[in-house]
Amino acid sequence: MNTLRIAQEGARALSANKLRTFFMMAGTIVGIAALTVIMAVGKGTEKKVMKRVTSFGTHAIMITAGGGKGFSPPQAGITTLRLEDAEAISSQIQGIDVVASFAVKRAMPVKAGSSQVQTGVMAISPQWHEAWDWYTKEGDPITAEDIATMARVCLLGTTSAKDLFGDEDPIGQYIQIGNVRFKVKGILQTRGVSPMGDDFDTRIMIPLTTGLRRLYNQDYITNIRVKVKDTNQLVPISEEIRKLLHDRHHITPPEEDDFAIFSAAEVANTARGISGTLTILLSALAGLSLVVGGVVLMNILLISVGERTKEIGLRRAVGARRKDIFMQFLMESLAVTLIGMVLGSALGWAASVILARVTQFPGVISWEPFALALAFALVVGVFFGVQPARRAAGLHPVEALK
Amino acid sequence: MIDIENIEKVYTVGVVTTRVLKGISFQVKAGEYVAIMGASGTGKSTLMHILGCLDKPTGGHYRLEGTDMVNLDDDALSHLRNHRIGFVFQQFHLLERATSIRNVTLPLIYSERYPEDAHQRAEKALAAVGLADHMTYKPNQLSGGQQQRVAIARALITDPTILLADEPTGNLDSRSGAEVMAIFQRLHRDGRTIILVSHDRAVAEHANRIIILKDGRIAEDRPLPNPRDAEAELRVLAEKEGQP
Repeated sequence: MNTLRIAQEGARALSANKLRTFFMMAGTIVGIAALTVIMAVGKGTEKKVMKRVTSFGTHAIMITAGGGKGFSPPQAGITTLRLEDAEAISSQIQGIDVVASFAVKRAMPVKAGSSQVQTGVMAISPQWHEAWDWYTKEGDPITAEDIATMARVCLLGTTSAKDLFGDEDPIGQYIQIGNVRFKVKGILQTRGVSPMGDDFDTRIMIPLTTGLRRLYNQDYITNIRVKVKDTNQLVPISEEIRKLLHDRHHITPPEEDDFAIFSAAEVANTARGISGTLTILLSALAGLSLVVGGVVLMNILLISVGERTKEIGLRRAVGARRKDIFMQFLMESLAVTLIGMVLGSALGWAASVILARVTQFPGVISWEPFALALAFALVVGVFFGVQPARRAAGLHPVEALK
Repeated sequence: MIDIENIEKVYTVGVVTTRVLKGISFQVKAGEYVAIMGASGTGKSTLMHILGCLDKPTGGHYRLEGTDMVNLDDDALSHLRNHRIGFVFQQFHLLERATSIRNVTLPLIYSERYPEDAHQRAEKALAAVGLADHMTYKPNQLSGGQQQRVAIARALITDPTILLADEPTGNLDSRSGAEVMAIFQRLHRDGRTIILVSHDRAVAEHANRIIILKDGRIAEDRPLPNPRDAEAELRVLAEKEGQP
């Protein structure tokens, strides 16, 4: 029917009083902007979290020698984490797929011919490949036989291979780590840079026994990596491992641990970091703005109905039905929130882009915030517009014309 | 065409009841020009509101072209006002921010279908009241008389059965008032049915019939064989202004 024309009448009233219209809109603009930022940051954060968790291993638990919170490198001089601990975990705890032990030494001098680099060397058990899901792309992996014979063999990361041998094929060639010569038996798959900034591909892997006896001359390890069967069991299994290690290391809880346990669940929480807090704050702001903005909108509309009583009376006199008046004011309210939504979305989008540039919060723009904003705008517009519209429609034409 | 039968209107405020109209009956035939006169408080505004279907009587019947509006609901009354009645008010009641054209087309928004020739119809209506040059003016750019003429054009845009004018000259100077009265007389000559409400005998005497209300009842209902001629009055006013 003439709904469009009646909506136009509402829109004209808005453009006639721009400052008032802006005040009516302000709450919606701020609310929708906050909502858009929340969604962008939320989505960006989840993306970051997923990237970190995937890189860490979705099924992985890492036990590191030395106490401390967070995912930190092993502490030097902690000699209490031992191969027997790994064996105990493997034999006593249910729901575990693979347990791999390894010992890391950072910044070892490595030579090949005239090339020399300093890099991290990891002495690994054969299960390490499966535990990290990281295999050789050329040559052979570290095997149980290498462990048994304390073979002087090694695997190179792709970056190390290039640094030491350039374009030559390194397999079958020799390198020297410290004072020990190792034969290159394989090249690892390219793994890239970790979210923490480590280049995985600079590493060199050697058999665990060879590393402990021939190179490091130690009987302790620095890490145990556990791969669980079911990700839902990450937290309970972590706790079981903690208890087991407490027993084995004779630690009674208020006493500080001499190891740290870190699982994919904690990686996710760390990656989420203060994004969660920001989301809660912005949600509160969005909610508050929309409600306060809605109340302001309603009140200004009510004042407007009061001021425009004569206009309403005239419209009734020339044939407007109650529902026509109702529609006009409801449309006015909806127009305010919908325009507010467009401005708020634009503002929120701009804020997300700036936030992503200036701070560490990742902003990801998607269609969802716009759909949600539209829904919120409609709800606020209708919810807070109904009361003024009803009051306007309820005016008696004779009274209104006085 | 208009058949008013024993109309009563009682207002109740708390325990106080006021009988404003105490049984009014009259008929108006198509093409008549009737003035309803009375001092303030005699119920003429209330009668005017009932005639305009803005309010319902508490007793009696009001048939407009055979339809008894007493039985109609609010939507049907709105429809009746839209199609059958054209209002002219003392205070003009124009939309402040709208041009003459938009003010005149306003009633068409509330008809079932917005006519495609609405704009042309508004132009014609404005030309008929002598405002062909003021189509895009807003009320604050027009004189009082011009504003009232826009209101008359608005009242006529739906080609209503009756034109209801409530103190149409009350806010106008004598010259503008005479112009408005001249328009009404011309409309009457063209066959339009007009009901004019006024407390002012000089204004009412432009009509061809006078109904005088007193204390909620009809005190007098008589034809006026020789109504005042607004055109002649305008000429006199013009001559006066022409003198030094």
